[in-house]
Amino acid sequence: MLNGIPLYWYLIVAAAMFCIGLYGALARTNAIAVLMGVELMLNAVNINLLAFWRYLTPESPAGLAFAAFVFIVAAAEAAVGLALIISVYRNMNSIDPEKLDLMKL
Amino acid sequence: MTVAQIVFILLSVVGLGAALLVVTTRNLFHAALYLIASFFAVSGFYILLEAGFFAAAQFLVYIGAISILFIFATMLTRTVRGMVPRNSQWQAALFVSVILFVAMLLIFSPANFSLPFGQGRTFGGAEWQFAEVPNKPGVLRDVPASSINDFGRALVDLNQYGIALLLSGLLLLIGMVGAIWVARERKPREILAERARMAAEEAEERAKAAAKAPEVSVAHAAVAHDAHHH
Repeated sequence: MLNGIPLYWYLIVAAAMFCIGLYGALARTNAIAVLMGVELMLNAVNINLLAFWRYLTPESPAGLAFAAFVFIVAAAEAAVGLALIISVYRNMNSIDPEKLDLMKL
Repeated sequence: MTVAQIVFILLSVVGLGAALLVVTTRNLFHAALYLIASFFAVSGFYILLEAGFFAAAQFLVYIGAISILFIFATMLTRTVRGMVPRNSQWQAALFVSVILFVAMLLIFSPANFSLPFGQGRTFGGAEWQFAEVPNKPGVLRDVPASSINDFGRALVDLNQYGIALLLSGLLLLIGMVGAIWVARERKPREILAERARMAAEEAEERAKAAAKAPEVSVAHAAVAHDAHHH
């Protein structure tokens, strides 16, 4: 245990944060709020990666490297996603995912 | 109860409470601010996990950059107020999330994930690889002093993560160029000129079809119009 904190505390907090983010990504009526849910999920994954790194393989840089790549992908995702949302808003005056059905058959 | 445990519980309450408010509040700007609070709590977890570099990166990347992007997008789309907090499928979403959380609780229970690990613990029929990590299993080892140096060397070493680092640089470049291209401002005059050009082309096509075969012109024009419309 690290400072008296067992590993599964981190896992449970990260699981709760992931599920909250999942609910947000599925149940929101605004594309920006959906992206916020995705960011919460990515943060939960990062907590898990770093917790496993610290408790199981602190000698290896693999856990740190994976967490760094999650950061990079999250940054690119947020930038492109928000640019898409702004473009969609300009063209359709709405960013409700349920109303964006142009590609539906 | 140690100080670290109390800090952990406080961080969990702040982080999860803020996350819940992010997905339930009606005001999108407030949601962005709660998201920042949640990022702060996650950064506190990184400090507790002795990953100081990632706590700093969390500050710079998430709190400094991504949350500002969210606030900008919120303001540029004028959707701050009066958002309906849930869509029509929210009950199904809640059900899926709760079921997933319960399943993860069962897997992450103390019996499976509390140190010390037993040697060769099995779970779900498979032996877990991390039960065989080097040194003595079941003993929490210190982070070596050279940890951050090793991490930096591994990132630039072509035999480890060098290629992945180069590719992620390319990903960021493409993401940046793509974001600028997708969200570029087009002047109303350009859009009007493009519409006029398209209408002229359509009219020309119709005139050509009418001159070519008067009897099929109606059908052809309809098809052309249809194709253009789609």
